[in-house]
Amino acid sequence: MTRHQKSLSRRTVLKSSVALTSMLAAPGLLRAEPAPVKVGLLQPISGAFALDGDLAKIGAEFAIKEINDAGGIKALGGAKLELVIGDSRSNAEAGAQATEELQSAGVAAVLGGFASGITLTATQTAARYDLPFVVDCAVADTITDRGLKNTFRFNPNFSMATAVALKNLVKLNDDAGKPIKTVAIVHEDGLFGSGLAKIMQEKLPPLGFQIVETIAHPTPARDMTNVVLRLRALNPDLIVPSHYFNEFVLMARTLQQQRVRPKGIYAVFGGAASSYRFVNEFPEAAQGVMDCNHWGDPKSPITAKLRETVTAAGKFYAYNTPINYSLVKVFAQAVEKAGSADRAKIIEALAANEFDSGIMPYGKTKFDAKGQNSSALPLNTQVQGKDIKVIYPAEYADAKPVFPING
Amino acid sequence: MTRPRLSTLAIIVAALAVVPLAGLSGSLLNLMIFMMIIALAAQGWNILGGYAGLSSFGHAAFFGAGAYAMVVLQTRFGVNAWIALVIGIALGALVGAFIGFLSFRSGLKGSYFALITLAFAEVARILANSTNFTGGAAGILLKLQTGLPYLQFADRRYFLLIALGFVAIGLLVSWWLEHSRFGAYLVALRENEQAAQALGVDVFAVKMKAIAISGALTAAAGCLYAQNYLFIDANVAFGSWISIEALFAAIVGGSGTVIGPLLGAIVLLGLGELTKMVSGGIPGMDLLVFGVILVLSVAYSPNGLVMLMKSLGLRAPAKAREA
Repeated sequence: MTRHQKSLSRRTVLKSSVALTSMLAAPGLLRAEPAPVKVGLLQPISGAFALDGDLAKIGAEFAIKEINDAGGIKALGGAKLELVIGDSRSNAEAGAQATEELQSAGVAAVLGGFASGITLTATQTAARYDLPFVVDCAVADTITDRGLKNTFRFNPNFSMATAVALKNLVKLNDDAGKPIKTVAIVHEDGLFGSGLAKIMQEKLPPLGFQIVETIAHPTPARDMTNVVLRLRALNPDLIVPSHYFNEFVLMARTLQQQRVRPKGIYAVFGGAASSYRFVNEFPEAAQGVMDCNHWGDPKSPITAKLRETVTAAGKFYAYNTPINYSLVKVFAQAVEKAGSADRAKIIEALAANEFDSGIMPYGKTKFDAKGQNSSALPLNTQVQGKDIKVIYPAEYADAKPVFPING
Repeated sequence: MTRPRLSTLAIIVAALAVVPLAGLSGSLLNLMIFMMIIALAAQGWNILGGYAGLSSFGHAAFFGAGAYAMVVLQTRFGVNAWIALVIGIALGALVGAFIGFLSFRSGLKGSYFALITLAFAEVARILANSTNFTGGAAGILLKLQTGLPYLQFADRRYFLLIALGFVAIGLLVSWWLEHSRFGAYLVALRENEQAAQALGVDVFAVKMKAIAISGALTAAAGCLYAQNYLFIDANVAFGSWISIEALFAAIVGGSGTVIGPLLGAIVLLGLGELTKMVSGGIPGMDLLVFGVILVLSVAYSPNGLVMLMKSLGLRAPAKAREA
């Protein structure tokens, strides 16, 4: 972007006097300000996933402020980052439409996406304009399987996450002396739930677990009594649930009411298992629930700061905040390495370099040929007391697993 | 206004065709394409719900049939996009005939017909969601490849023109209904089925034709949707949202009129976008404003915008017509 010299108008004088005053107020910044780099954040600000979008926004804003306060993008003479929010309204068409709007607003890249359906259409829209798109927590493998040059994913995909989840489940079971023999799978019938159930049905039996039942239910579900009564009759050692927040909470509460006490509840991308809202509102039902999910490094001091910011805003912390914080950080590094806000150069920089992963436990982020971050890794968490602790892997763990939970 | 001349329709279509040439931004172009898709789905609904008085809550069944045919044929069988489009539309007519055969034979109408169509759409959604053939819950993606044979264009104005072309066909079909014996049969059975039957109208055959045409038009909308967004899953294709959009646009615009569905789609979606602009930064505020405007418009023009325009306009001879 270039600025054209115009003849001196009243407005220009006004503007410059305002600028001059602010410069006098902050003498350290007395230099020409380069054009800001606009970065689009596509998140569901309204609709069913509005809570998630909100948390993501807090993370991204935090990172933008941090970068700008530290002097902006050095390679561009201290250019500031400017966040432009696109509201995907929690559905796919609106996601495509919001991406078009971000494109019109002249962003250098789009970050986010959140849900797989939204991300699939939004990334294709962005691909029409060669607009770089770095995906956050949308997990469908297909997102990076389409050969779109503009699309990168920061977080682990479905296959990567389930592989880790299974590995750690075996380790957990072995360490505790193999208390688990039977498993019941309860899943919602959408992309996420049925996908996961299918993988579990294939992979668990060879690992020595017997699946006693697979129960599907629709989202939204208003009552879990039948599901839970069935579980009580089957009495499995372990329940593997995969549903969204409300259904997860409902099932956990119904399990508690019906006094069904399996030796463990082990979720993968569990809707509520790594949510402080769940832990705060239903601490008894949440006790001991394990999850394998996106999670920020608990040992990073910034994690604590983000949590404070979210709590101060009267909200419950979840993974969206650290992810989007880190996503902005990765983008800023890409712009530094590209030395330009040019889209093609940013795509090139994203594909060619390694990046610090912010506060996500990914070590060095490196996007492979498909655009997937090959270092991405989910963490295993467990609700312990009023907190959510990381139990695996050891280098990020801040607690030992409590297992089996009901003797 | 309710019985427009062909020339009026031509002017409307020409005006809509000129707009994209004015150099719209990508987001406006995208909005217009979406408007045309919804208008087309609503035109399909209007044939059955508006003219024949058989309100369906399950036009998603046709929309989804078209959308899935489009995507499955291209990705699994390598069929050319244009041929897939034709097959998709034909499939919509076939699904219409199937649902029609089962429900009209048992004489379902009114709320029972509405419920049975809803049930069919839901069954289709659950089937598409659980079978591998349709990509299951993961849905299916179409590859992004631009070019005439793929029915995808780098310049999206071409796609808009194609969508507009279909809407024009929808207008023509409705116009034909207003001027043909077949259309008169439809209206007759809407007003009084027994009387129509007594006068020798083959009610079953007329209904079957109506639902097939209706299904074909709405399936075309599904095909275009899939081709524009390049991704569908069971909830997008067979979800109740499209059934609602279709009947909403037709009813708000004016059901049983030629340009009602088109007008309804443009006004509803345009209004949605407009409220988004004026409602500032408060998330979700636009939807609230939109809801209020919608309630007001339905309260003050229960017979649709077309009728409202008519009553505000040239005080046409009182031709009492319940929509």
